[in-house]
Amino acid sequence: MDPLIITQILNILFGVTTLAMIALGLAITFGMLGVLNLAHGEFVMMGAFCALVVDRAGAPFLLAVPLALLVCGGVGLVVELLLIRPLYRRPFDTLVATWGLSLLLRKLAEAGFGLGFNSVAVPLAGTTTLFGTDYPTYRLVLIVICIAIIAALFAWYGTSRAGLKIKAMVGNPDLARALGMPVKRLATTTFVVGSCLAGLAGVMVAPLVPVHPYLGLDYVIKSFFVLVVGGLGSVLGVVAGTGVIGGLDSVMSALFGSTQAYFTVLVVAILFLWLKPRGLFAHG
Amino acid sequence: MIPISFSNVSGGYGSLNVVQELSGEVAAGQVLCIVGRNGVGKSTLLKLLLGYLPCRSGVVTICGRKAGSMAPETRRGLGVSYCPQERPVFDDLSVADNLAVMVQDGRLAGYRHFFDLFPVLERRLAQRAGTLSGGEKKLLSFTRGLAEDQPAVVLDEPTEGVQWENIQRMADIINDRKAGGTAFIVVEQNLSFAELIADHYLIMDHGRCVLTGPHTGIGRADIVKHLTV
Repeated sequence: MDPLIITQILNILFGVTTLAMIALGLAITFGMLGVLNLAHGEFVMMGAFCALVVDRAGAPFLLAVPLALLVCGGVGLVVELLLIRPLYRRPFDTLVATWGLSLLLRKLAEAGFGLGFNSVAVPLAGTTTLFGTDYPTYRLVLIVICIAIIAALFAWYGTSRAGLKIKAMVGNPDLARALGMPVKRLATTTFVVGSCLAGLAGVMVAPLVPVHPYLGLDYVIKSFFVLVVGGLGSVLGVVAGTGVIGGLDSVMSALFGSTQAYFTVLVVAILFLWLKPRGLFAHG
Repeated sequence: MIPISFSNVSGGYGSLNVVQELSGEVAAGQVLCIVGRNGVGKSTLLKLLLGYLPCRSGVVTICGRKAGSMAPETRRGLGVSYCPQERPVFDDLSVADNLAVMVQDGRLAGYRHFFDLFPVLERRLAQRAGTLSGGEKKLLSFTRGLAEDQPAVVLDEPTEGVQWENIQRMADIINDRKAGGTAFIVVEQNLSFAELIADHYLIMDHGRCVLTGPHTGIGRADIVKHLTV
């Protein structure tokens, strides 16, 4: 096969898996808690800045992972307790509150790091030869790690007792409380997990994109398109949605450029809202 | 110690007091049956007792502790199990998972006795609970609640849609557990079932108590009079 085609296939795979990581966090908080977190992209941004800080300090890149988990998990915890918890079952208020939070986080990053574009050195620089084509090793590793994390999460949710409790809580919260489930604690945990996933994704993409305070916007918009196309509240929806949005974006970028790709994604999202508003695999 | 008592409890949704100044209690080994027409506030009273709605006034005591503003999951920890009237099971979970979700080791061994009495549940263990009939859901909910083996059990319309022979078995189980010291508060429309288990009646109308007393002092005619007016 033409090495160029293989490169493009790997690019698509890369685009889809990284988008899936980000959309998954958003889908978890929305599907399980009913919270549409407009600041989700800012958690990706914070993760990327963690990578930047580690890079500037000259420390090993992998240190960015625990730092991002600590920062994003910590901020997620505080945000859930102070901002989200009083607003459960008030979707519009949550939307406004998280939008305000996203402004605040962006401006904080701006105050700390300025508006300029920063770059993070790529760990595992160099390429690996795969099916006769040279592909950046770091991107290959990311594809594998994303798939592993997503698969592990699904397996854990599908088979563990904690996953069973979360399903019960999401499906019938009042009954879950009657059975003595700590629903507030589970909700907090869920939100923190979503925040950590976003932070982790931020660390991963940091060496590949310009790191700046507005980094999260683009990702969060695409993640919303994923939920629009895939449907809410189902695992299959996230996978199908990222397949469609991430795939389209990557293919159109390769063929016509990123502006045309963005245009196509927007049109598809609008068509879905218009013709199939519940998405491909809506729950229930 | 009194498993559940409530005095001068008022509360409801929004600014409306659905329940007004109700008092009552249930002793260990006793059944308090709450009876009344649809919409007089029976389920609302239970939600006030269990912490799903805040009490605007009055005091609820569960196993000797004042419940105050405790959340439902905390009240369960004090020793009260609850089988709600609406959405009594986890529809998305299998029957087996419905029973196992809060069991420490996830095993169903503790349910043997119930499976012998309600074999339909054991036959449907792998089935999604949402596909059960209304009566089967009630049996599943009843089984889960009773198996928790707590000092107090609150049942909201447990026999709705259940076949008469299974209703009789439910009454037998409740009477067994009464003998063991468990206290029950039961909201019930089915007077034949209530008569099998009740020690005390609390008859409600328009959110208030219109008649209360031991079952020996209250005949069926007294109850029916308040149900039909």
